Amino acid sequence: MTAIGAGLAMLAALGAGLGMGIATGKAAEAVARQPEASGKINAILLLGCALAESTAIYAFVVALILAAK
Amino acid sequence: MGLIYTKTVTIIELAVSAVLLAIGFIGFSATRQAAKAPDASKPQKKKHRLYMILTVISAWFLIGTVISSVSQSSGGLNVEFQMFSERITLFGVSFAKTTVMMWVIIAIVLLLGLIFRFILFPRFDKDNPKGFQNVIEISVEAMENFTKSVLGDYTEQIAPYMYSLAVFMIFSAISELFGMRPPTSDLLVTLAMGLITFALINFYGIRKKGFGGRVKSLAKPTPVIFPMKILSDIAVPISLACRLFGNMIGGMIVMDLLKSVLNGYATGIPAVAGLYFNVFHPLIQTYIFIVLSLTFINEAIE
Repeated sequence: MTAIGAGLAMLAALGAGLGMGIATGKAAEAVARQPEASGKINAILLLGCALAESTAIYAFVVALILAAK
Repeated sequence: MGLIYTKTVTIIELAVSAVLLAIGFIGFSATRQAAKAPDASKPQKKKHRLYMILTVISAWFLIGTVISSVSQSSGGLNVEFQMFSERITLFGVSFAKTTVMMWVIIAIVLLLGLIFRFILFPRFDKDNPKGFQNVIEISVEAMENFTKSVLGDYTEQIAPYMYSLAVFMIFSAISELFGMRPPTSDLLVTLAMGLITFALINFYGIRKKGFGGRVKSLAKPTPVIFPMKILSDIAVPISLACRLFGNMIGGMIVMDLLKSVLNGYATGIPAVAGLYFNVFHPLIQTYIFIVLSLTFINEAIE
């Protein structure tokens, strides 16, 4: 049962993937519109991706805690 | 019956890979002259490259067959994962192995720092830098400029800490390449790093605004939000720690899975995958940890 729970916990990766995809798409749009600002956009994108990724990481840590005996 | 069958298969594998290796190597040496000539045609170069690929693949297969016939492990997906690292007893006290590894890294960094400070730096030429001096100057300058771009105030105090944090995390990522469990894959180590950031946030927040100003800034838009602000402040070190820990241990587990799936054939391929999971990923995480720390400190002092 804990294995199923650990697997279900990883459903949070869905949101992280969606969020990162949207953020990257917007960043690509922004770079296409203003290629000279790509450095700043890159930094913001990395930060945003890290924050969006953290939900998936929390889910991963929870799954690990559930799975590891 | 089964044992004899496996042995026969192993011997056939060995023979086939040895023959292929010999063919590949002979062809590689034979076509080398023609392919390296300045007027080499395209098919000749292609042939040379094909022989090279054949040599590499058959050498990999040969090494893998030898290792998996010698080793006793059965292969398959049997990863033994531990949330916290194994413990080791030193001087009658039990320590986590990652903690001991961290001390080793700290000792190495400290030793390097002392060597740089007292032996290398006095020899540096101030007016025309060259070689290693350039590397040091560029990296220190880059870190200072980066800190200044995010932070503004207190740059000369926080930038050295961030630089040493980056050095520590890069060294711990390198330690994974030597087969050790990196210190950053221990939740307690990353939590300690997060708590240092937490202390820095509050220290500089109070230093800039005074204790009353710091408390007042937590109740900025409306006083109703005060408990939530406290909670989100407490969540900062935990989220930093969990992010770093999850990323590092994720890479470690993926590498362990890859090694256990490949079993004896785990030569070469994990090195390529490790370039991403053990080198690139920790560097990105170092960058993110530093950026987030600086952002939170900036939030407290502005």
